[in-house]
Amino acid sequence: MICRRKLITPAQKRQLKLTEAQLTILRAPLNAKVWLEGMAGCGKTTVGVNRVLRLLERGAPAESILIFVPQRSMAQPYINALRGQQAYRGGQVWLQTIGSLSLRMVEMFWFLVAAEAGFKRPRELPNFLSLELVQYFMIRAIEPLVDERDYFASVRIDRPRLYSQIVDNMNKAALVGFPISEIGSRLKSALASGVEQAHIYDDAQTCAMAFREYCLAHNLLDFSLQLEVFRDYVWATPQARAYLRGRCKHLIVDGVEEDNPASHLFLSDLLTTCESALIIYDRDAGFRRFLGADPASARRLRDSCELKATLDETLVMGAEMTALGAELAAHLGVSVSGEGDADPRPALIAEAQRYHPEMVDWVARQVDMLVNERDASPNEIVILAPFLSDVLRFGLADGLARRGIPLRSHRPSRALRDEPAARTLLTLARLAHPRWAMPPTDFDVVFALMTAIKDLDLVRAKLLTEMLYRRGRLLPFSEVRSTAMQERVTFDLGERYDRLASWLNRYLEGERNDAIDIFFRRLFGGLLSRAGFGFFDDVDASNTAQNLVDSARGFRWSLDFMRRYEAEIDLGLDYVKMVDRGVIANFYLRDWIADAEEGVLIAPAYTFLLNNRPVDYQFWLNIGSEGWSRRLYQPLTHPYVLSRGWSAGRLWTDDDEQHLSRETLGRLLLALTRRCRKAVYLGYSELSESGYEGRGLLLETIQALLRRYAREGQHV
Amino acid sequence: MFKPRPKQAEVLAYRRGFMGVAAVPGSGKTATLSYLAAQLLAAMAPDEDGEILIVTLVNSAAANFARQVNEYVRADGLLPGYGYRVRTLHGLANDIVRGKPTAAGLDDQFSIVDERESNVILAEAVEAWARRYPEAPDAYLAPAYVNNGRYRTQKWAEILTETARNFIKQAKDDLLTPLAVRRLLDVYPGELLLAEICAEIYSDYDRALAYRGAVDFQDLIRLALKVLRDESDYLASLQRKWVYILEDEAQDSSRLQEDILRALAGEGGNWVRVGDPNQAIFESFTTADPKFLREFIAADAVDGRELPNSGRSTRSIQQLANQLIAWSLLHPQRAIRERAPLSKPFILPTPAGDPQPNPADDPAAVILSAEAYSATKEGLMVTESCKRWLAQNPEGTAAILAPRNARGAEIVKLLRQAAVPYVENLNSTSSTRAVVGALARLLAYFADPKNASKLAEVYRVWRRDDRDDPAAVAEIKRAADALRRIKTVEDLVAPRLTDWLEDIIVEDEGADAYQDLLAFRERVGAWLRAAEMPIDQLILTIAGDIFRDASEIATAHMVALHLARLAQTHPLMRLPEFAAELYEIADNRRRFSGLSDDEGQFDPDAHKGKVTVTTLHKAKGLEWDRVYLISVNNYDFPSAEANDSFVGEKWFIRDNLNLSAEALAQLKALAEGSAYCEGDASLNARIDYAAERLRLLYVGITRARKALTISWNTGRGAATEATPLLALRTWLEGEREKEMTREPQP
Repeated sequence: MICRRKLITPAQKRQLKLTEAQLTILRAPLNAKVWLEGMAGCGKTTVGVNRVLRLLERGAPAESILIFVPQRSMAQPYINALRGQQAYRGGQVWLQTIGSLSLRMVEMFWFLVAAEAGFKRPRELPNFLSLELVQYFMIRAIEPLVDERDYFASVRIDRPRLYSQIVDNMNKAALVGFPISEIGSRLKSALASGVEQAHIYDDAQTCAMAFREYCLAHNLLDFSLQLEVFRDYVWATPQARAYLRGRCKHLIVDGVEEDNPASHLFLSDLLTTCESALIIYDRDAGFRRFLGADPASARRLRDSCELKATLDETLVMGAEMTALGAELAAHLGVSVSGEGDADPRPALIAEAQRYHPEMVDWVARQVDMLVNERDASPNEIVILAPFLSDVLRFGLADGLARRGIPLRSHRPSRALRDEPAARTLLTLARLAHPRWAMPPTDFDVVFALMTAIKDLDLVRAKLLTEMLYRRGRLLPFSEVRSTAMQERVTFDLGERYDRLASWLNRYLEGERNDAIDIFFRRLFGGLLSRAGFGFFDDVDASNTAQNLVDSARGFRWSLDFMRRYEAEIDLGLDYVKMVDRGVIANFYLRDWIADAEEGVLIAPAYTFLLNNRPVDYQFWLNIGSEGWSRRLYQPLTHPYVLSRGWSAGRLWTDDDEQHLSRETLGRLLLALTRRCRKAVYLGYSELSESGYEGRGLLLETIQALLRRYAREGQHV
Repeated sequence: MFKPRPKQAEVLAYRRGFMGVAAVPGSGKTATLSYLAAQLLAAMAPDEDGEILIVTLVNSAAANFARQVNEYVRADGLLPGYGYRVRTLHGLANDIVRGKPTAAGLDDQFSIVDERESNVILAEAVEAWARRYPEAPDAYLAPAYVNNGRYRTQKWAEILTETARNFIKQAKDDLLTPLAVRRLLDVYPGELLLAEICAEIYSDYDRALAYRGAVDFQDLIRLALKVLRDESDYLASLQRKWVYILEDEAQDSSRLQEDILRALAGEGGNWVRVGDPNQAIFESFTTADPKFLREFIAADAVDGRELPNSGRSTRSIQQLANQLIAWSLLHPQRAIRERAPLSKPFILPTPAGDPQPNPADDPAAVILSAEAYSATKEGLMVTESCKRWLAQNPEGTAAILAPRNARGAEIVKLLRQAAVPYVENLNSTSSTRAVVGALARLLAYFADPKNASKLAEVYRVWRRDDRDDPAAVAEIKRAADALRRIKTVEDLVAPRLTDWLEDIIVEDEGADAYQDLLAFRERVGAWLRAAEMPIDQLILTIAGDIFRDASEIATAHMVALHLARLAQTHPLMRLPEFAAELYEIADNRRRFSGLSDDEGQFDPDAHKGKVTVTTLHKAKGLEWDRVYLISVNNYDFPSAEANDSFVGEKWFIRDNLNLSAEALAQLKALAEGSAYCEGDASLNARIDYAAERLRLLYVGITRARKALTISWNTGRGAATEATPLLALRTWLEGEREKEMTREPQP
């Protein structure tokens, strides 16, 4: 008898997991332009991923496919899917955001457009600025102006935030598409009150123009200028258009509602020439408003697609969770269809505590119970708060660590100066560079020795510092005259100390003038990562050291051209000062890779949403906080007034503000519940972390829900 | 269950509009107001989103309100905090500004500098100014001090700081920015030297705050009012939100507070103000004045009520308080009399059948001492008296109320020496200081880790849970003594070649002690390794190990935030400086503002058999069975008489000028465009101060339930009995004489 096994292809296997509605969309012709919309949790991205794989399987060259997302983390499902696949012909699938694409294009076509775009040195290469470098140049370009003319006198705001808001205005202008010279007038026209505030906007305008002048003079491109050059000059050249149109035949756009008008304009142009497209739009999202997200502008792309599809059946929520989301949203005036009539209470667990640390402890106990009594996977639990202070993060991390529960924390950035390993390297750098005239304090030296020398405890580090740190230098161990004291330190540790001290002294005496990143690398590679020293076998410390090296190198490479203008510039010193100001952050890629590990996720609510992954359990912390519903208030900028939809001259009123808060929270709660399968736990302490009683809109909404049931005689 | 007496029921009948209530001490005004809040809450429509806003003076009162209203709310199955919010003025201003920070020129992340930080910034500004103008003291120092280096620098800087602080505070209350003051000065006909000086310092101070992205407490209130005035639609939404405003302690409302609440209540709004004008004791150099509340209550559009019945004190004590009112109405100094420092209603006992009847009267328990004690003798007298009374009344409560913290600290020392059980409630509560002190000891050790004595202190902190266990006390002492004797601390906490524990303890102390110290070593080792973490994380790590009680952990949490803020503004601060900061708080040298609202929430009845030492100001709202009022002399309670001296008039300043008062008068002249006459303000300040101190005495008297002793001392030698005390004593003696000569009733 002949047995015939029915073989199925990988594509068929994948399709087995899809719903009929998803399959219908997936089977749309491969040369069609499809607009796919729906709510979260209905499998839209799954369709997108399958579409890419289908294109590849049907022979589309990989490099002809452009996956376009608002931020890189949103492309993760695509990256994962492509990683697991065989190699396809035609290079690699393109994965771009408007930022990465515009940078690449400006770099490619620079010499064609630089002069026309107003750069003063069009024959020299451009310098693209990271946010850190923007701060660096802001300090140079406009700080003297601000000090001299007493700008921003009526606002209370620290300098890094002042600069970042000026930059933010410039970015908004570029993303929305109006000249930066209109920033001040637009903001003023929406202002109902205060002449003082009008002055501030004038100051912000002057500073933006001054910074732009400085950039044009020095071939510097911050994000706004990069985007403007791309949009107004590069994209206008036939060469650039031909290049992109020739390359991008198949377009997959995910999270289009989170993108900005500049992206939408570009996409709309590309849609006229590409062979196929799938544009995925979440009806209830648009969370990155403060970064220029514009769902209304996104929706205009719908008209460029000949096929329109909708996915509206949740693959995540049960009836109770659906009812919870709908009820909370309805209270906030966000209408939802088809919420059913289930009782939402089983999906909501709330308990009030008096003090904030009690709430943190309660959360840790509940997570423990879920993991150890209900067999929940830590991966299926997220802890969300509007903001994650270091204190809260640390408290939770500690509480979960004591219970042996793994944790991962999305921390987009943290000042490098807060990392002990980085502080150690910086202290040692100061010791090695007396010309900076920044000798470290005694205590910095104590900690640096303790971190740098393996097994050196605080007591002995203190002894060594007291005996051997003199006038900014580390003396050799032999300078300890008393044998008893040497024995207290132990000769073993003394010998390691000597190696460190002599390394630094050799460097210093050799009057070497290595670039700062090279200094860090040599110190790390040549000594600290060796056996007997603190970074040996310490993955975290090594990662931080590597981040510091990378960051310092990036700083140097980006700024090396400055030597043309200032021969005496000491980039090492400038770098250390920037770290001291807290501007340089530890947010290099390897930290994000570490985030991919298993464990309970602690993240700001929006970060979780933009990762777009449903879970079984969510904890919403600090529900009394206004941060759940309110936009960021920044005195120099305004995301709505500077958005495309804002009519010139219209006043921004408190009604607008209230409406916005309610809508924002309504959509957020809807989006969260749509990414939650089993239950939402509410963490509430009467006194917040800072000792204040929070009475935010989320608390009010929850109370309204509880009150409704309480008044109906159904106590929760 | 709260059972209102008839006068309270009248207040509880309130439903809408403006109401003003004059309440006497012990009349149950806070309970009445809480109950009113609960009633209004229950009556609100189920779908109403509005809230009741309760405004009170201090955090401790806010916590009391919250607790009382929460009891009702919890019973309805809701989370606490539903339908109402209790705020101090600062808390309310914070809510208002955070709701619209951009309108105040702030961003979301603005920080509020506390009293300490504000003082540091101001001191820096003053120092810089004084360096620029070294000849400035010539204008104000008394001739004997003009050439004295210490007075030209240190003392001058101190008084200038104080003067500038009051000037800046007032300018902010008047909504005058540094620029506005400058413009006024430019057009003022004539020279106002103090205003010129303070304006420059104000400008520097303000710039320093702006650079930090910060505001001070005064800014917060000023900006709240500015936002309400500038943003009419925001104001309208707040008016919709806060359906009722209930204000407690309204006698201490500053003009700005009143303006803010009036704006929030709006035309035809609902605003209930309750207070006792006779207890207004926070008015010095502020815009607060008890006359505002009196005028409010008397206004036509306001439903004026009284709560005159009090069951707190014996009839004799009430009569003494009433006599003080009566005497003040006929005060021998016309200027003071015209200020009406105290006013009717008199205190009435509770009616028959009241749930809170007055304690049985004991006229002999009211003692007004005529003796001219020295300060030490007075302290000893009070200490002895307390000791006797507590021995006879182990279930009773007693308090010694001092006019100033420093005097309280002196008394504490004497009580300690005499082994009288006491609890200290001066700058911060003792529980707060215990937590801060424990953390300070740990940080001090981390800053000096080879110090064996400090390590021994750490051990005591580690065993703090056992400190009330008599069996453990000896054991802790033994171990701490042994630790103190260690020569090389590293051999215990981080042994390498030799291990102190192996060498010594096994033979000396046995297995239990060994295990105990082994565990201690493990913990200290972990802390030492953590010592390089950012300071807030270090504090939280330690707190998790040594504190059990939720409020202690919360306090530690606040300490972590406090130090993190300090670290941000002072990047060079390290462990020694952090430890020093905590010692300042632990040793009562500095208030710890920004702590949880339990700070100051002092319950006298929780300290039976002990005497509480606190200040008259901190005693407000509290009551004890027996009360001692000390230092009632003409220094602490002057009456603007020829031989009185005034705290605000410094001996090294010429012509008895009160520089703060003069600076404020110059500011007033600027703002109003009126004339300024040097010296007038100093005289006026004497009257204001005397009036306020009279009210402070009234507050002190009305703290006593059953027994009251008032004494005075000669201070540095020249002080005399305070005039009001003399008047009361004379009256009391007369009454007693009358009593004795009265025919016995058949």
